[in-house]
Amino acid sequence: MREVAVVGSAQSPGRAANRRDDMAGILLPVIRTALGQLGLDRDRIDFVCSGSHDFHEGRTFAYIDSLDAVGAWPPIVESHVEMDAAWAFYEAWAWLQLGHGDVALVYGVGRGSVPADLDQVVPSQLDPYYLAPLRPHQDALGGLQAHALIAAGLTSEREMAEIVARSRADAAGNPRAQVVGVVAVDDLLAAPYVAAPLRAHDVAPPGDAAAVVVLAAGDVARELVERPAWVRGLDHRLDGHYPGHRDLTRAPSAAQAGAEAARTAGFTAGQAQVAELHVEYSAQQPLLARALGLGAGVAINPCGGPLAGRPMTATGLIRVAEAARAVHTGRADRTLAHATNGPALQQNLVCLLEGDG
Amino acid sequence: MTARLPEPVTRLATPLKMEYTFVAGAGRSTFLRGLAHRRLLARTCPSCRHVYLPAPEFCARCLVELGDPVELDGRGTVSTFCVVNFPFPGQTIEPPYVVAHIRPDGADTRLMHLIREVEIADVHIGLPVEPVWADGELEPSWTSIRHYRPVLAAVTDA
Amino acid sequence: MAEPVAVVGIGQGKQAKRREVTIGAMVREAVAAALEDAELAASAIDAIVLSKTPDLFDGVMNPELYLADALGARGRPVTRVFTGGSVGGHAAIYGAHLIQAGLARRVLVAAYSKESEGNFTWALSRGLPFSAQLGAGAGGHFAPVIREYIRRSGAPEHVGWQVAVNHRLNALRNPYAHVQMPDITLEKVRESPMLWDPIRYLESCPSSDGAAAVVLAGAADVGAPARPPAWIHGMAFRTETGHFAGRDEVNPRAGTDCAADAYRQAGITDPGREIDVAELYVPYSWYEPMWLENVGLAPVHEGWRLVDDGGTAIDGRLPVNPSGGVLSGNPTGATGLVRFLEAALQVRGRAGGHQIDGARRAVGHAMGGASQFHAVWVVGSERP
Repeated sequence: MREVAVVGSAQSPGRAANRRDDMAGILLPVIRTALGQLGLDRDRIDFVCSGSHDFHEGRTFAYIDSLDAVGAWPPIVESHVEMDAAWAFYEAWAWLQLGHGDVALVYGVGRGSVPADLDQVVPSQLDPYYLAPLRPHQDALGGLQAHALIAAGLTSEREMAEIVARSRADAAGNPRAQVVGVVAVDDLLAAPYVAAPLRAHDVAPPGDAAAVVVLAAGDVARELVERPAWVRGLDHRLDGHYPGHRDLTRAPSAAQAGAEAARTAGFTAGQAQVAELHVEYSAQQPLLARALGLGAGVAINPCGGPLAGRPMTATGLIRVAEAARAVHTGRADRTLAHATNGPALQQNLVCLLEGDG
Repeated sequence: MTARLPEPVTRLATPLKMEYTFVAGAGRSTFLRGLAHRRLLARTCPSCRHVYLPAPEFCARCLVELGDPVELDGRGTVSTFCVVNFPFPGQTIEPPYVVAHIRPDGADTRLMHLIREVEIADVHIGLPVEPVWADGELEPSWTSIRHYRPVLAAVTDA
Repeated sequence: MAEPVAVVGIGQGKQAKRREVTIGAMVREAVAAALEDAELAASAIDAIVLSKTPDLFDGVMNPELYLADALGARGRPVTRVFTGGSVGGHAAIYGAHLIQAGLARRVLVAAYSKESEGNFTWALSRGLPFSAQLGAGAGGHFAPVIREYIRRSGAPEHVGWQVAVNHRLNALRNPYAHVQMPDITLEKVRESPMLWDPIRYLESCPSSDGAAAVVLAGAADVGAPARPPAWIHGMAFRTETGHFAGRDEVNPRAGTDCAADAYRQAGITDPGREIDVAELYVPYSWYEPMWLENVGLAPVHEGWRLVDDGGTAIDGRLPVNPSGGVLSGNPTGATGLVRFLEAALQVRGRAGGHQIDGARRAVGHAMGGASQFHAVWVVGSERP
């Protein structure tokens, strides 16, 4: 495998609703920042790949407008996934393996505020014949999963509230976080349910943001940054779709992706010092920690994570960016980024990153 | 006892309703507000000097913010067109009618709109046209321009 | 040089106005056919790439999730790509890249559209103030571009009708094609209703439901199959932005660059002579001469002559769309992959009634958006 590293990233500040910028407008400053930090001109980019979804944007072919921010002239080599941009990250990493180029730019735009009501949108992800007609509201399946976890003794409402309090407090040091603040666990537990046992704060708050990650291969990576975050392992897997067929207390595809990533990384998720987990609900954090085999001393979502802001299809890519940042700053030598797609953790991606020395 | 089985379900209607709050973006908002005042506002890229109408926030080639808006008089020429001859969803007028790419005088981009108040057979590439504004109070919307029509004062020497 | 990749299995379902099966069943049919053709069990597949056009068209968001079982995807890496109408081509190329990158040995690429389950109008109607409500339909965008091509090239009007006749006659030899018109003639095309001048009804593509799938394998895993593989000799995709002054939508540079890269990989220097058959993304008849020029199969402004002298008919020297092409069947999310797999069928000698004798090198081409996205592959019967 060709050595490929995350050399830089940038993200727009997470906002509950950005009413000023269109897709290209929200993205351009982020691309400028990411490339500017590296001293890279856009003509050094060999491949561009992105992730976003029409159902959030409310129109067909929505992502095409975002290409106006990329500089797709002269013509570029480019691709797109209608999924979280973490899957675009995978495609870019795979493309760099071919040796046709050395630098890739990955971007994700996610806007949760454009749909007036996500209850109208989220159930469309389900089997259109058997499940979608039931119109479960946006957090219903998350609630079922949290309920199953509590019933199995794998988490508790108090633990969930503690996770949220921790995330919000950690987010205070993160200028990109959407929701920050110190909250008392007992105050959180006094709040009403939105999908028992989930309370509003247990749900990662949808928002609007764009994120960019820059990948570079081998010596080019070393020229661009002091301490590249090498992608040592990267894998993604899909579980079956029907919640009634799945054990909602587990995420086998996350475990499998973690194991596959570890195989090439030469170290396991349990050895990661920082883990960025794409949790959509607080209850999913202990589930994923167990599924991935995270170590006892690992710092999970030290910048607040999705519970402090979830810009839809940019959220998983931001986990990669944050895990890489922990390497770049020297905070950690080995980090993990996780991304998810689908109801109740149906599809999962795991990335293992490592710094030199 | 054997009961007769019901007919199999072959189709299932699942109505979807989705509401969205669309964001025009900073550049297009300026353009749309101009339309509400019967003004066509163009902006120039300080790098390649191309003039955009309508104008987004920045030039898609140079990735540089476009300059301050400048009003154009709205006249232009038909650069290419087609005749919509058939009923299609979303039509507000009866076919046949002309949809054209119009290059506004002073701009380097083209916009798409209807051409009316002319015999279809008289529409040609190069036809000078001008916008016809809707009456009364206008919205910041493309519907403020009802259509384009040939510039009546233009007399070309054949 | 990267490990050569081959198409070892191809499956299609009938393209039709409405398929009386669920989305999952329709996709499964094509996937099962591709696996059967490849003589492989689903467990042999390492990764899956799914191609589809906008989810709003049929109301199913992230269908890769619902289709987990139809695709045989549990426990596999699954990616759903989208690049406008070229998506089927992009997906096939990404699948091949996964093999060349050493990330998979065998990849299933599946594509489909079942827009009869949704409401196209609803999906396209935005009620925005952001664009004029022109009610022009899809062709309303392409017709003015065609008019510009006709002006530049001086092509006579019957060229478009001739393309329609060629493709519709070809479709009669393809049992999968949606539209079968046994009594098609030039006069019938000329007399069909004008939709967007100059495009007439019989020069336009239908809207079809349909699914297609291919299985790709690296050279080391091809073995000695009963059915010969199609070898990928070159493949590329390119994108250009749509919104800048001076853009040439008639002959977009992204298409030219894309094809040139594919030919370079394939060692082809004179594509017009070295390519035996082409499957091009022709949604409206005039796009045949336009794309022939754009992908370097005919000189600029001369593509129409190749049509006019019979060169692109099924018995001509460079048959175009012997499958009947997009005019005869257009499941939009699959159409690009169908062009790619039809090219592969030709060089495998497995195109049945529409086989071009002796086809050894073929081009598959797909286009998306307002001619912003282009994908091309060159396949051959010999291993490169």
